[in-house]
Amino acid sequence: MDLDLLLNPIILSEILLQGMVRGSMYALMGCGLSLIFGLMGVKNFSHGEFFMLGTYMMYFVAVMMDMPFLAGIFAAAVVLFIFGMLVERSLIATLRKRAGRDWLLDAFVLTIGMMVVMQNLALLIFGSRRRGIARLVEGSVDIGPISITLERLTILLVAVLVVIVLWAFIKYTRTGKAIRATGQDPDAAQTLGIDVNRVYTYTFGIGAALAGIAGGLLISIFPAYPTVGFQPVIKSIAVVILGGLGNVPGAIAAGLLLGVIEAYSLFFFAAGWQNVITAILVVLVLMVRPYGLFSSAKGERP
Amino acid sequence: MSAVAYPEKPAFLREVTFWRVVKVLILLGFLIFVPFYSDSRFITTVFISAVMFGVFAAIYDLMIGYGGLINFGYAGFIAAGAYTSALAWFHFGISPWIGMFLGGVMCAVLGFLLGVISLRLRGLYLALMTFFVGEAIRFSIANTPEYTRGMLGLSVAPLPDLFGISFARGELLNYYYLLLVMGAAIMIFMTVLVRSKFGLAFKAMREDQLATESLGISTTRYKLYNFTIASFLTGILAGFYAHYLGILSPTPEEFGVPKTVQILTITYVGGRGTLWGSLFSGFLLIGFQEYFRALGAWRLVMFGALLIFVMLYARRGLAGLKKYVW
Amino acid sequence: MTLEVEGVTAGYTREVPILQGVDLTAQQGLVTVIIGPNGAGKSTLLKVIYGYLEPRAGDVRHFGKSIIGLEPKDMLNEGIAYLIQGHSVFPKMTVHENLELGAWTLGGDRAAVQAAFEEVYDHYPRLKEKRSQLAGVLSGGEQRMLELARLTMTSPRTILLDEPSVGLMPKLVDTVYDEIARLKEKKYTILMVDQNVKKSMEIADYVYVLQLGQNRHDGPQQDFIERLPEIIREWI
Repeated sequence: MDLDLLLNPIILSEILLQGMVRGSMYALMGCGLSLIFGLMGVKNFSHGEFFMLGTYMMYFVAVMMDMPFLAGIFAAAVVLFIFGMLVERSLIATLRKRAGRDWLLDAFVLTIGMMVVMQNLALLIFGSRRRGIARLVEGSVDIGPISITLERLTILLVAVLVVIVLWAFIKYTRTGKAIRATGQDPDAAQTLGIDVNRVYTYTFGIGAALAGIAGGLLISIFPAYPTVGFQPVIKSIAVVILGGLGNVPGAIAAGLLLGVIEAYSLFFFAAGWQNVITAILVVLVLMVRPYGLFSSAKGERP
Repeated sequence: MSAVAYPEKPAFLREVTFWRVVKVLILLGFLIFVPFYSDSRFITTVFISAVMFGVFAAIYDLMIGYGGLINFGYAGFIAAGAYTSALAWFHFGISPWIGMFLGGVMCAVLGFLLGVISLRLRGLYLALMTFFVGEAIRFSIANTPEYTRGMLGLSVAPLPDLFGISFARGELLNYYYLLLVMGAAIMIFMTVLVRSKFGLAFKAMREDQLATESLGISTTRYKLYNFTIASFLTGILAGFYAHYLGILSPTPEEFGVPKTVQILTITYVGGRGTLWGSLFSGFLLIGFQEYFRALGAWRLVMFGALLIFVMLYARRGLAGLKKYVW
Repeated sequence: MTLEVEGVTAGYTREVPILQGVDLTAQQGLVTVIIGPNGAGKSTLLKVIYGYLEPRAGDVRHFGKSIIGLEPKDMLNEGIAYLIQGHSVFPKMTVHENLELGAWTLGGDRAAVQAAFEEVYDHYPRLKEKRSQLAGVLSGGEQRMLELARLTMTSPRTILLDEPSVGLMPKLVDTVYDEIARLKEKKYTILMVDQNVKKSMEIADYVYVLQLGQNRHDGPQQDFIERLPEIIREWI
């Protein structure tokens, strides 16, 4: 580690910017996971495979059909929304309605089964070849002494936009309010005439759509291939734990934090150690503050 | 009802019935003689894999099925045990026979530490904690190529001869019988364990942590026992795995999530809380996987679907079928 | 008759019926109170009325129409609202949002929602004052007030209350009964299950005593006042 580098403000802010781009991706991936967890307590381990489907959708629409990349992101969102709802209705709901002891752990194991099925079906259908897009947008801009590619800037902007839309949706729309109410007290929500089963299905769909959007958006970094979802799912789980399980704003903050920490550790340590650092960070948080860095409520006992 | 009091047989003898003895003999005969008489390297390899993963899955069952503790970083523990034995030989020339034991000790220490840092966690939180611990172990191995050769892969010596029995690379049958002895010892140990007061405490902890505490049973202590014992057994078997395999590399397939999922699937399909169910499903799943190699990735699709099916409709796994077929 | 329960038999398993042939009626503008020892099936009866538990025999009618097996949404459309036992405000949502959710089944009918808000804020100025606060930071009494107010958002005709005073500090208990009395003045039909026999007698018009899932006594409140000690002795 070089002290000069450590203190050089330009390099530091360059890393900070890279970290924010990275972090916005993590936040985007963590949001969907956190939303599902916050509402129904289900830890969806196949979130990475939803991400993977998003990358394939992007590839089909933007490369094979030669449409603009925003259309690809839109297609990924729509397809994954429907797919997520189908998964909830057909698989998760069966467990949820039985709701015996430890059903959440069973649901977790069930999503592991889904992960295996989806990865290998993708392998059978698409093969193991990586299909990517080198750049969604060409060029770069200079901000002061720092240069950033338009590609990264686009990712940052779209991620921020999606998060804002999600936030507004949850905050102001009728469905958003039903989602929050069901998350806080499903029994009370039901007596008021809210169809909580439908809320669960929608929410799972929205969570899946967010993973799909992330997959589509990040295709230049994560090309489409069957096991591409593994890294993203680890990161998003880390983000969700750091932010507090089920705390969506916490997930966003934690995503940015993790992105910046990783960018610094990538720069100052050998590549590869950032994963260890992430893991240690998560383990520490689970030890000391299992409810997350950004949640004060200890409502739910781990 | 006759009022004559028969002398009570000891508990373990009461369970020894004629049919049980016959069943066990049939199974043992199958395990001992099939590879021997088939004289096929393929069959022997499949039997080695099936027994090895069956026993790994049974150890996994000791954690999830008896203690309700999910270790989602299990493959990382196998890696720790395997690498300990391999590196002890590689760097210090320690005999693998001792190395396997060291692997067990290393894993026991890690398991104990894992227990300590996750004392307060249960269910999903424990799954996540163990997942990141397992990944941290695997990434640490991958990131220190100067000691472990990282992703390049570490060549591991075969086991040295013992009592005049050769464990050179080609001696598959000898490896198999060694595994059978080790596996039997582990299985018998665990069977005795779960029938002792430990087993009772594990099950109580699985059913209801608070109620168990209220009976004066320290769940934290039994959690530590469970993790430590299970990890120790894992480490020993992992040592065998390393020397049998001959090459180690910290890939996800070998020591990451896919491996954990494979073992977890064997456990769940076998039936949680049965120990021996894992051995049956080990044979079923590994046998299927090896026999239908031509199906390629379809096999894994079927495994995933099987796991989903078990979660949805057959939570007791194969054990639920026991009364019909065996 | 606003609400009629006729010969209802129900339970969670086939073998153990919790209710065995219970009859009950509740009339408009009156408070009907169900009392009885623990395990008498009081809360279960409310669940049957609100459609959470399908009875194996008997009928439940609201203004002459059978309402068995309706979804909560349809119950509200029929004019029945239900306050479950225990806390049921959404703590991380504002008072206003909580009320908005009370009007969930009015759907997109903005005028109706607006009118409901005006009426509720008129009736509960305290809630209007605190409309943008999170419900979780309100006092226990205010939370219960919010729950009652939320029930009236759809202008129901019948209100089912399950243990409205349970878990509150003694001095707040009085406020809750005052609120219920105020609802009675507004001509709601109120059917209430209560452990707090003494307090509920103060606002009750008609009383049912359930024991082991069966009708034990019933009659107007004034008949019960003297017999109360004797009835309670039976439970022990």
